[in-house]
Amino acid sequence: MHVAITKDRTIPDTINKEAPMTSRLRRLLCTVLMLCLTLGAASAGAATSVPLASTNDVLASQQSQDARERIHQVLARDDVRQQLELQGVDPSEVEDRVAALSDAEAQHMADQLDQMPAGASVIGVLFAVFVILLVTDILGLTDVYPFTR
Amino acid sequence: MRSFVSSARLAGALSLVVWLTACASAPELDHSVTATLPQRQLLEDVPFHPQRDYQCGPATLAMVLNHAGVDVGVDQLIPEIYVPSRKGSFQPEMLAASRRHGRIPFTLAPRFASLLEEVDAGRAVVVLQNLSLPAFPLWHFAVVNGYDLDSEEVLLRTGVTRQDATDFGRFDATWQRSERWAFVALTPGELPVTISPDVAIQATSDFERVQGPEQSLPAWQALVDRFPEEAMGHFALANAYHATGQPQAAIDAWRSAVARDPSLAPAWLNLGLTLASQGDDEEAREALRRAASLDGPWQQSAREALNEQQGGHR
Repeated sequence: MHVAITKDRTIPDTINKEAPMTSRLRRLLCTVLMLCLTLGAASAGAATSVPLASTNDVLASQQSQDARERIHQVLARDDVRQQLELQGVDPSEVEDRVAALSDAEAQHMADQLDQMPAGASVIGVLFAVFVILLVTDILGLTDVYPFTR
Repeated sequence: MRSFVSSARLAGALSLVVWLTACASAPELDHSVTATLPQRQLLEDVPFHPQRDYQCGPATLAMVLNHAGVDVGVDQLIPEIYVPSRKGSFQPEMLAASRRHGRIPFTLAPRFASLLEEVDAGRAVVVLQNLSLPAFPLWHFAVVNGYDLDSEEVLLRTGVTRQDATDFGRFDATWQRSERWAFVALTPGELPVTISPDVAIQATSDFERVQGPEQSLPAWQALVDRFPEEAMGHFALANAYHATGQPQAAIDAWRSAVARDPSLAPAWLNLGLTLASQGDDEEAREALRRAASLDGPWQQSAREALNEQQGGHR
């Protein structure tokens, strides 16, 4: 099962180049992956030995993930890869960064990168905001200006 | 109508004030926890890396990794977690980078006492705060390296301040905006003071995916010691033994797993397959039969393995 998934890692590059084709290609890719998973499971019997159940797979199955969800997760890593490159991360670093994410983290990033907080300590200081934050700082609700303490 | 609108406005304004005040109040501390802790704790030995530009993520991570015995500098971590166009770092990548440096990131339960317990156990804790209001967020990573129950202060290494003290109320107001997100990065074999078995097992499995079974073996052993009744822990430990060439230890651990949970089909399957590879055909068939009798994603594999086993003996 896993071999089938990793082999197809290169396919999403084509997705990237042809943006309008994305959804069609994606559907096609999903179908192919679904087939691989089903056939992969069926063809395991033809091999001389059945593979051991891995810890990662068992945990994933306990979270009631069907094949479709697993595929979604595989695609999620490619999404994150693309998004990080778009956000200015050095392409030579992206692969290692994405590889170190857990399945759930990759999924979370793929789904919500735009809304995710990025720890940064930077703020666009408008005067009105400055005044509001000054008051909330004094009230002990925020911690923006150290001189209020 | 007008009076209705204005009274609605007034009610809105009042509820905002009530809500804001609620945020500022000091967090509820679990007295069963605080009673067992020293009044004050400060980890002086946590190194300090002042943040440069917007890079509180790399600076924070360097502090906790160094404290956990990893020799890594801020400059090395910047390309691993910094996102240039967002001028910051994302939470999942902080966890991912900890794995890359051989430490297991455990996200803590979102409770104030978790911070105190971990500090008391000698661990520096990474927290995510929104120092500003939700409408104009100022997301910030910092390291909690101490607390003082008398003065009600959280002690932090934060930004360019080597030792900061923030009162509980203000700290919690800024921390709760991240849903009280915090993590510790621990050497395999260590576990947080308070953690649920499911969270610990998932965190260790995520680490194993990156660092492999040999690095993870001490972590699985610690997990089984802490949660001896957790079948999944024994199962995962057995898999790690098997992957590091210790089939007999693996067989014993899978047996422990099925003793705790006889419905754990993958444990029966792996036990059966490994017994077969060791030449113990009788017991192998028995285990595979148990696996094949249980519904679920492993049933098909178990039936095939059983067929092979029985086929070989005809």
